[in-house]
Amino acid sequence: MNTSPFAALARYGIVWVTLALFVVLAITTDGFLTGPNLRNVLDQQATLLIAASVATLTMIAGGFDVSISAVAVAAPLVALRVENATGSVALALLAGCAFGLVVGTVNGSVVSFAKINSFITTLATSFIVFGIGFLVSDRSILRPKSENYRDIARTRVADLTTATWISLGVVAIAWVTLSATRFGRHVYATGGNIEAAKLAGIRTGRIIVLVFALSGLAAGLAGVVASSRAISATPSDDFSFVFGVIAAIVVGGTSIAGGTGAVWRTLLGALFIAFMVNGFNLHQIDPIWQRIIQGVVILVAVAADAWSRSRRT
Amino acid sequence: MADSANHVELRGISKRFGTTQAVDDASLAVERGSIHGLVGENGAGKSTIGKIISGVYTADRGSLLVNGRLESFRTPRQAFDAGITTIAQELSLLKDRSVADNVFCGVEAARFGFMSRRGTQRRFASLTSSTGIQLDPAPTAGSLSVAEQQLVEILRAAARGAEFVIMDEPSARLSGTERDQLHRLLREMRERGTTVLLISHFLQEVLDLSDAVTVMRDGRIVRTSNAETETADTLIEAMIGRQLAGNYPPKAMPAQPGQPQQGEPPALRVRGLRRPGLGAQRGLDLDVCSGEIVGLAGLVGAGRTEFVRAVYGADPITEGEIQIAGEPLARPHARALRRPQWRSRLRPTRAIRRGLGLIPESRRDQGLLPDRSLRENISLPHLSRTTKAGIVSRRAERNLVVAAAAGAEVRGGGLETPVHLLSGGNQQKSLFARWMVPGLKVLIADEPTRGVDVGSKRSIYDLIASASGNGLAVLIVSSELEELIGLCHRIVVMRAGQFVAEFSHPDLDEAEILRQAFGGEPTPPSDRQTAEKQ
Repeated sequence: MNTSPFAALARYGIVWVTLALFVVLAITTDGFLTGPNLRNVLDQQATLLIAASVATLTMIAGGFDVSISAVAVAAPLVALRVENATGSVALALLAGCAFGLVVGTVNGSVVSFAKINSFITTLATSFIVFGIGFLVSDRSILRPKSENYRDIARTRVADLTTATWISLGVVAIAWVTLSATRFGRHVYATGGNIEAAKLAGIRTGRIIVLVFALSGLAAGLAGVVASSRAISATPSDDFSFVFGVIAAIVVGGTSIAGGTGAVWRTLLGALFIAFMVNGFNLHQIDPIWQRIIQGVVILVAVAADAWSRSRRT
Repeated sequence: MADSANHVELRGISKRFGTTQAVDDASLAVERGSIHGLVGENGAGKSTIGKIISGVYTADRGSLLVNGRLESFRTPRQAFDAGITTIAQELSLLKDRSVADNVFCGVEAARFGFMSRRGTQRRFASLTSSTGIQLDPAPTAGSLSVAEQQLVEILRAAARGAEFVIMDEPSARLSGTERDQLHRLLREMRERGTTVLLISHFLQEVLDLSDAVTVMRDGRIVRTSNAETETADTLIEAMIGRQLAGNYPPKAMPAQPGQPQQGEPPALRVRGLRRPGLGAQRGLDLDVCSGEIVGLAGLVGAGRTEFVRAVYGADPITEGEIQIAGEPLARPHARALRRPQWRSRLRPTRAIRRGLGLIPESRRDQGLLPDRSLRENISLPHLSRTTKAGIVSRRAERNLVVAAAAGAEVRGGGLETPVHLLSGGNQQKSLFARWMVPGLKVLIADEPTRGVDVGSKRSIYDLIASASGNGLAVLIVSSELEELIGLCHRIVVMRAGQFVAEFSHPDLDEAEILRQAFGGEPTPPSDRQTAEKQ
């Protein structure tokens, strides 16, 4: 089955459909295949890619992190408070990331040691972290004092924004970590069969703490980059960011059951969704329909995964 | 409907799972209102017979008659409706629901879909008075003891109007007095005309209770006879003499079985091991020497898997010491003084580093990463050997895996094939390949040939024999006694968490080993229940 051409087609489905969409949009629209448009798409996807490429590891390890939204909202508020107090952009960036790392470590520890379902754990910590965001910001929009804060995301290097470069860097690091390191192998093993992983000598508890810690760190970084692009940060309790992240991971073909997937899949999943939205806009399709079609695409992706699993013995 | 004395009758029933012929042309008649015992070794097909009667499995061939009428149940529900119910070894209660909810689960007293509280109470009261089982309907099932939970199951069977009850190992987890109670209850059920098919490892229990006894071997019925004409010895005689399905490689004897070379510590030494359910009376001691193959025989539940998991560090132990080639599998003593719990902190990591490997009981649940490649599955425990600065060296990994896969003769795909695409035999061999690495001193294999075809069986036997010929110490757990006899230099018999006997080649006598494994009535160790409650 594995060697049949159909299986190969299905296995790399996300590659073919992304390429096909790219070609279709390039042919049917004037605006798509232009430097500014593609650069713009990449820039818009930067924060999502930062969070999603690392959250892919969490998902493969069998975890589900919904606190990404809360961290991405609260981390820049912490970062801007530090910036306002010290005037240092570097310290602000560090504080935002550290905040994400701490939240992620707490998430991972609760999941790993208290053995609480990771969806429930991160849902609960989400509310706490949203609350912290309101506390830190005193319920108001925070803005950076220095002009340099916007440079985190908005500096142009070789025609691309630093936000894009940061996201490509994070994707590359996550990709290498997952595919080439021992830690990456242990992530696959933990999500694929936790009992077998333990018997192979893997400290699965540690792996789980680490993937959640990294996911928190990435969400913090994504939040800071987003606030640098917006030159402000607003407290809220908006969960929508994580839905985009999960959609990218799942559409790419990483299994929500854990054990299989790849960072390049998430990269393509994010690009596929971004191209789709971009194409909708270029074709001036009503945003209401855009949502409905997006939902159908995610369902198809998950169904394809479930279907390919059910065919196994 | 024919007026038949036989409540349930099987005619020429066969059932195959993959390559295993679980039941082969079995014919059996169970008389109405009798207790009918069904005995045999592990894997003889007893439980499969029970599951065919109760509709869990459908037979491949043959016919099933209930009350003289031909039936072919496709679901347990259809068997229920014909008055047949099973009380399994693993109880299937809703632990968070009340006793009454459990008893009437599926046959609730309801009006228009709404539960009738009073109706439930009335029915529960009439049920307890008709069966003589006194139980409070209110507490949750999970709060009851194992024996009480079993009573709930029996009440549940009664609530469904079951006339034919299959009891699969009902007393395995009961203490002495609880067992007596159960026996009384079974006799009372017979008085009231219920038919009982009793599947049990406890031969004396079967002889005491049953009217007729059927012995199975290799999926076949050996004989059915009047229980009064049988003794435990005659039953055991009937169980043995299995046809040797696979042939075995010649045994290369180590210099002195059970005795290490002079001045050399044994490859594996276990001293005074205890954990809940294991070594209650006396801590467990075992030596396995380099080049030796030792088998652990015993019935299901005797504690064999628990023992090897504890040795490997997969489960904590409360007492004892484990050494690999003289090196303790634990922390230095100085730290032990500060941390009295140190012994329970053994981990597979440490065992692996010292050269101990485990092939677990279930390759699917505990062994393999089904979606990952053969390469990744083999190298998984050894990645520290092929990693520099966190990055896995693909070349070093490949070298390790190629040698290991060749050593275990894994076929049916390249190194990049996901293992779920391999045949069962090759999946099992890939678990052997995982341990065909330099530096391995002791290999523990739990059910090494379960669910494997005959050809692969032989090559796994060859693999074990040649590895031990090269100086590996091998400890095998197997429910197939003939396999142990064919392979091992020594066989240690476990019963109720203790080592009860030891046999050395060439004195590996099947009947004697089985006698030790069955051992009459098991002593009910008091701590077995404390283990259960944890």
